[in-house]
Amino acid sequence: MNIFDTTLLIAFFVLGVCLLLAAIRFAMGPSLLDRITAFDLIVANVIGIIVIYSKLTRDFELIDVALILSLFGFLGSISFTYYMLRRNN
Amino acid sequence: MNTFLIHFAIAAYAVTWAIGKLNWFDDSAAMTILVFLVAFTFLWLSSILYDRNYFRKIPKVLGLFFFFLKELIMANLKIAYDIITPRYFMNPSIIALPLKASTDLEISLLANMLTLTPGSLSVDVSEDRKELYVHLLYADDEKVESIKKELKDGFEKRILAITR
Amino acid sequence: MDIDLEFVKEIISSAFILAGVFFMLVASIGLLRLPDFYTRMSAITKGATLGMGMIVIGIGVYFNDTEIMLKILAILFFTLITSPVAAHAITRTAIYKKVPLWKKTDLKEFQNYLQKRELDKDEVEDQLQKNSKRL
Repeated sequence: MNIFDTTLLIAFFVLGVCLLLAAIRFAMGPSLLDRITAFDLIVANVIGIIVIYSKLTRDFELIDVALILSLFGFLGSISFTYYMLRRNN
Repeated sequence: MNTFLIHFAIAAYAVTWAIGKLNWFDDSAAMTILVFLVAFTFLWLSSILYDRNYFRKIPKVLGLFFFFLKELIMANLKIAYDIITPRYFMNPSIIALPLKASTDLEISLLANMLTLTPGSLSVDVSEDRKELYVHLLYADDEKVESIKKELKDGFEKRILAITR
Repeated sequence: MDIDLEFVKEIISSAFILAGVFFMLVASIGLLRLPDFYTRMSAITKGATLGMGMIVIGIGVYFNDTEIMLKILAILFFTLITSPVAAHAITRTAIYKKVPLWKKTDLKEFQNYLQKRELDKDEVEDQLQKNSKRL
């Protein structure tokens, strides 16, 4: 176990904690927009986790998944806001 | 812009050529970036003969990029300090930033860069496109004018120097 | 003198990843702690973008491979383009939907815009309904 693998494990753990914190805001957010923000942060978090996981398992194809996610997370939040603007109260 | 695209394509082709035909180096990213930068620098230097405008603009683009990176990191450290310490130092406000930029490209570049930097979040453009509404985190009443001036001198001036 | 290049690479990469994770953690705590929607939004966009970017760059430095470097540059490019646009869209929707602002927020210069919005609101809603019928 060298320094780098230890760093990666620490990073993995802390990113998991971040995911948990974002999930708490996702559960209790007062408005739908707070939830969309939390969703944005979760997507960024998951990209980081995937990239680190691809190093830990030496499965380099997973980086493609992160690439696609960086495009689609944006589409998700945009479509949610669009839906909110269109919805009648 | 056209010159930039052509130079970019030539430099990228030079890199693939150096990898494939000449076997200059192994497949490491550092060498790829180095070869690309050397090729691109030579092409840029050659442009003084046929495209003076382009020759002048590339250093400004680099300057804007590094200024942007610096501001991004500074903004994050400032907000990180505020989040970690228990008291809030922030004093949020929504200001109207008078715009000198007029085209779509300039305004959207400015708004996006402001969203990513010093505690500011662009909200909307006024209907006559003369003002940009920006949500600021650190805006004391007496400092608003100096912050506006800072934003205008920092980003808008650099962007306008590139696009015009 | 003999410098172990692998080791230097690992150190640089670790530094990038730890800095990125730190910014990510700060953004997550900020998401829970900050008082209102707009301050949260402006802390999150910056923190998440920088944190994720630094993690990804760190991994790229470690792999040091052309193909992976290109993919990582693409990830960075997409996030830098898309995250401020998403933030802008969400904030505008929040203003339109009247998500409350923090009580300390200074709205002196924004009054103008809010009043106009108030007047235009019926018009905008008509337009939206027309659009939704057309689609």
